[in-house]
Order: sequence, then structure tokens, then C-alpha cells
Amino acid sequence: MWASSILQVMSRFAFRDWLSQELEKRRLVNPRYSLRAFAALLGTDHSTVSQVLRGKRRVPVAVLRRWGKRLGLAAEEVAAYVAMEHVPDALITKRQEELRHWTAEALAIMKDQTHWQIVRISQMPGFRPDCRWIAKQLGVSVDDVNVSLSRLLRLRLLKIERPRQWKVFVGRGTVSEAEFHKCALIRVRQLAADCGVTLGRINRKAASERSTIPWVSQ
Amino acid sequence: MGKPVRQFQIISKSPAETARFYSNLFGWTVNSDNPLGYREINTGSVDGIQGGIWPAPPQAANFVQLFTAVDDVQACVKHAQELGAQLIIPPTALPGGVELAVMHDPQGMSFGVMKTG
Repeated sequence: MWASSILQVMSRFAFRDWLSQELEKRRLVNPRYSLRAFAALLGTDHSTVSQVLRGKRRVPVAVLRRWGKRLGLAAEEVAAYVAMEHVPDALITKRQEELRHWTAEALAIMKDQTHWQIVRISQMPGFRPDCRWIAKQLGVSVDDVNVSLSRLLRLRLLKIERPRQWKVFVGRGTVSEAEFHKCALIRVRQLAADCGVTLGRINRKAASERSTIPWVSQ
Repeated sequence: MGKPVRQFQIISKSPAETARFYSNLFGWTVNSDNPLGYREINTGSVDGIQGGIWPAPPQAANFVQLFTAVDDVQACVKHAQELGAQLIIPPTALPGGVELAVMHDPQGMSFGVMKTG
């Protein structure tokens, strides 16, 4: 029985929606039932209740529990509302995930030399488009090569239009490692921007020494 | 005719361990002796589809991609983007004659398209 009431709770989305319904239920019985009376029942002032009902004020967990109890909510229902009140906004969560993803991409480019080494070796005479050969030349595992290769393809820094033709999109002619990093980070910012995520300039020296990207505000 | 799902791909942060697990569980054979070092899975059956294992980047969760066979990867990518897909890996020609691309559908789920031969 409590499981079905939980489902009802989940369908109401927000505690303040339920609170608003409780006030209306009382007004249906007594049209003169005031917000002040409702607030007194909850043990608070009418201004606080008004702000909560208008969405101007969040309900702290302790207050939600107290009001829920005073209005006869079952413990499980209170717990469900507490959980729902503290679920992060879906849009914010998505943005945070995107930021984490692009930060991880940039960090990987900066800290793992395999990316630069693949770019460098792919332009050298005698290059073999064979990840096992590349791994042997670079002294890393095939999986390391493939993780880096995937990232280079995702970031459009490398393109394989024909099996033996690996085209690099990093500057003109032979580029240094520093130039590669610069181009790569610009590409990360461009692709992040295409996804609606704005990244600032990066302090490259600090990034290479730390485990997080210190994005500099523009 | 049609657009069959040709291959499944397990993206794993621990590809060697994943290969070992499914080999032990299902008796699949895993062979990485190819220019990509790609762990090709042979399920040992003509039913169903074969697959492979690819290493995941550190920030990704483990997941499974399905690759659908198409006649023209470039055209399919263009059409998919018109339908709201996001291109992740542009059309790429792999050794052995396979061309593939990886996208996210409008709901954010990863999928691949491929053309063999």
C-alpha cells in the first residue's frame, strides 16, 4: 500500500505542489481558510509559506520532514519528497557531465604524450597504419594507442579517409608538441562550444602539473 | 535489403578483463591479431551477430554499441545529423576495408554505422 502512495508522490514532482494542494483541500472545505491558519498549522509564519508556494524559497530537509509530519504524510512519502527536492536539475546535471567530458578530453591531450606521438609518427616515412606497430614504436600498449587514436578522431585532429592515409589537422607542416597541444585545446573548446559548453583559456603549464584543468575565465 | 545490425561492440575500461570474462562465460573466442589490435569476438555460432571489444576513455562508462550496416556511410551520417544525431567519430576507413562512423542519437545514445568491403 505504501508503495502505491510512493508512486503517487513521485508523480507530484515537488513538495510545494503537494503543499499547495493541501492548502486548496482545506479551502474547499472552508473558503475562508487563510494562509496564516495554514502557516500556524505548519508551525511557521505566513510569509515563509507564501515564498515556498511561489517557488521563491526552497524547503530545507528538516522543515520538509516537520511540515510533512504535521500534515499527516507517511514516513516513506516524506523520504520520497526529500529525495526529489534534492535531485539535481536535469539540465544542470547534463551541463556538468558535458563539462567533465570536455575537461577530461583536454586533460588527456595535455598529460598523455601518446596523442602527440601518434600524430608525429603518422607523418614520418615508413609509417605503418597498424596500431600494433605504432604501440611497439612508442613503447605503449595497443589499448593505449587505441584510446588515444579514438580521441584524436573524436577531436577531428586526425582523419583516416583511406586505410593507409592518416591526415593530421594540426597546424601546417611539422609542428612541435607545444603547437600540437595549443591546436588540440582550441579544438576541444570549439567542439565544447558546439555542445553549448563554454570553456575558457587554459593555463597549460599548470594543467600539466595538476590533475585538473584550471580553466581561466575569459 | 534492409539495414541489419551487423556487429555489437563492447566499450570497456578494462578490455582484457572483459574479454576474459565473456570467454569464460560463453566460450567466445577473442582475437586481436589485426592491424587495429581490435579484440574481435567470435561467438562460435552462425546465429546472431559477432562483435568486438574496444577500450573506453577514462571518463566514459562501459557500454555497448550496435553497428548497423549501411550502403553509404557519409550519406547516412548526413541524414542522421539532419534527424538530430551528433557526430562523434567521423567516417573513418579502417584497415581491412571497413568504413565506420559513430554518432549519438538525439537522446544521447551512442550508435555506429558501417560498410564492409
